[in-house]
Amino acid sequence: MRRYVEGAVQLLGPVALVVVVGILSTTVSSANRIYFLNALVSVAMVVAIYVFVGNSGVLSFGQISFVAVGAFAAGVMTVPLDSKKGVLTELFPLLRDHSIGNIPSLLLAAGIGGLFALVVGLPLMRLSGLAAGIATFALLEITHNILQQWTKIGPGATTLSLVPQTTGAWQATLGALVAIAGAFAYQRSRLGRQLRASREDPAAAQGIGVDVHRQRLWAFTFSGALAGFAGALSVHLLGSITTDQVYLELTFLTLAMLVFGGLTSLWGAVVGALAISGLDSFLGQAEQGVHIGFKLDLPTGSRLVFLAAIMALVLILRPSGLTGGGEFRIPGLRRAGPREEAPAPPA
Amino acid sequence: MTRTTRWGALGALLAGAAALAVLAVGTSGGFAAPTAKKKVIIGWAFDSSGNMAPFDNPALAAARIRIKQINAEKNGTVTFEIKTCDTQQNDGAKAKACALSLLDAGANIIFTTCDVDYATPVVTEAINRGKLAIAPCIGTDQMGPKRFGAKGKLAFSFGNVAQDEGSAMAQYAWSRGWKTANTATNTLLVYFKNVVQAFEKRFKQLGGKIVSRESYATGQSNVGTAVTHLNSSKAAVNVTSTAFGELPAFVNGLRSLHNNTPILNSWAGDGTYWTTNNPKVTNYYFVTYASVFGDDPDKAVRKMIADLKKAGAQVGTGGFLGGVDAIDGVYIAIKRAHGSLNGTALANQLVKFKHVPVLGSRISFSPTQHTVFGRQYRVLKIQDNKAKVVGKVTAKVVPKLP
Repeated sequence: MRRYVEGAVQLLGPVALVVVVGILSTTVSSANRIYFLNALVSVAMVVAIYVFVGNSGVLSFGQISFVAVGAFAAGVMTVPLDSKKGVLTELFPLLRDHSIGNIPSLLLAAGIGGLFALVVGLPLMRLSGLAAGIATFALLEITHNILQQWTKIGPGATTLSLVPQTTGAWQATLGALVAIAGAFAYQRSRLGRQLRASREDPAAAQGIGVDVHRQRLWAFTFSGALAGFAGALSVHLLGSITTDQVYLELTFLTLAMLVFGGLTSLWGAVVGALAISGLDSFLGQAEQGVHIGFKLDLPTGSRLVFLAAIMALVLILRPSGLTGGGEFRIPGLRRAGPREEAPAPPA
Repeated sequence: MTRTTRWGALGALLAGAAALAVLAVGTSGGFAAPTAKKKVIIGWAFDSSGNMAPFDNPALAAARIRIKQINAEKNGTVTFEIKTCDTQQNDGAKAKACALSLLDAGANIIFTTCDVDYATPVVTEAINRGKLAIAPCIGTDQMGPKRFGAKGKLAFSFGNVAQDEGSAMAQYAWSRGWKTANTATNTLLVYFKNVVQAFEKRFKQLGGKIVSRESYATGQSNVGTAVTHLNSSKAAVNVTSTAFGELPAFVNGLRSLHNNTPILNSWAGDGTYWTTNNPKVTNYYFVTYASVFGDDPDKAVRKMIADLKKAGAQVGTGGFLGGVDAIDGVYIAIKRAHGSLNGTALANQLVKFKHVPVLGSRISFSPTQHTVFGRQYRVLKIQDNKAKVVGKVTAKVVPKLP
């Protein structure tokens, strides 16, 4: 019973935080709402990355590939038919002559993201360490170039526009909650625990019968599905997307969010995504002048300098991230017996 | 979780919440007191420091000067005010937030950056609210219904449409007696591709012959191959439309092979910032809006350039003129719409523009062509790294491209 209570508490923290941000987003101007909603979409992306990287301990630079595939799949399939025939003329007829609604597009993006991850994961998940990192980076490069050059499946190097902007406060909040719930259920499942065991000691895990390759593949696939879903949320928030928006900068930003919050916990993923998003948005506004009792007007370009400096400082002081890699707990509500130490971050 | 961990997480949450809360309350703008003249608020979402900064900043600076002149008119019916928002290197979410903040601040018309892909989030928000969306120097036919569907009727650019520019280049080449041409297409941008396509179409209409066609792309390290192939193909002129690192690579590559055939480029090749001392740039031509080298044939243009320099603006290419002409064009449209600021009313006036006089030239739009055509181009030649006006040309035909 205590185990379930503790589990509920662990889930409560991230859920409450996301709900609060979602509610706050409805109280601000339409311009500032974008930043709140973007933060919630970032939560979905970072949680998707956490499902694989956090649970397996294998660093991946390729998860944004699945965000990209999901975003373009959802975007291309929801552009209204009359506009699509005039703007996206080179698409395969199947894509050009059909259009779907918002919810089906989210499901489609998750499905395509998961399927893509499964296919590329079959060979990639046999790798670990630096080789895995480089191989997943290669995946990002390949995906980016295919999306940028192949105009039969998307707009190519130009912007995909006219995508219905359906990600409002409800959709962004629910989307982030779906990602959190999925990640939480996975990490507490038998599959999740086997993968976490392999993260701590692959040899010992294999010794007790854990098929490390298979467990990583399941996590990679589920992570791909969540990432595709997050990509769909993103494209429906912005109403347009380019291949460059789902490439290197987003890869490093989302990984930084995860590391900043705490690589090995769901709570860390959520805290990192919201903290960095909030900070980034505030510093961006401060570059244009913001009133905080006095007028703060930072020089142009200082946003990234401050952001990087703060992240570096926090990681120097707390190498395991702000949450220390542990899940959310209420003080005083602690399980009896020896205290579970936060796992060490992957090398 | 340890006690310090909890405090760390709590601290991060508070910092994030504080940042978002400050964001929520601290960024509202105010309105100036009303005047007797009708006030038009232009919301300008621009890129102050990214890829588009060399184009956006001069256009914005020139527009500010033009607005001062208009606001000082004794018999004027409107006054303009520009509210700006920096899209911070055209980040998608920030660009969208910029557009919304400008609209919330009461912008009647939205101006946007000089690339249609970067401009898309801003244009989308503007046209969704029924506002006119204007770009000072987008150079493709994408700024309009072709990219933005039915609502794209509210989107216009005061840049030169690539088809018009390529056509003007063909006319100039023909007028110089260059009857044969090699073409090299940089496939990076639609603008680059359309300029060369239009050149070829118009050049052949005039009786010219395309001897060889090559292609390369920015970032693909293949411009050298194109140069080698062009060098082995004899023609009266080598034509391309390119910028960035491929521009000096293309020109210097040919000259290093002792190929002194004239090179003709579009506005993309305006300026001398890219020239090298060894080899020096010679026999290189380009078409542009205006000469920024002190010899533009139009006195008013020369004065505007002087004013810009006095204001501290860096004027590297003639593209600044798009900022001035956009203000002039909008002003004319407002007057013709009897003072209406309604997006549709203004768009209905803009599509009727035929040879409308603006600074430096006359411009036209049509219901299907929302990017300027019919502007008189200055043709400049760079010889020994020095640029000089050598002619003027206006396209007589705007070729239709597939």
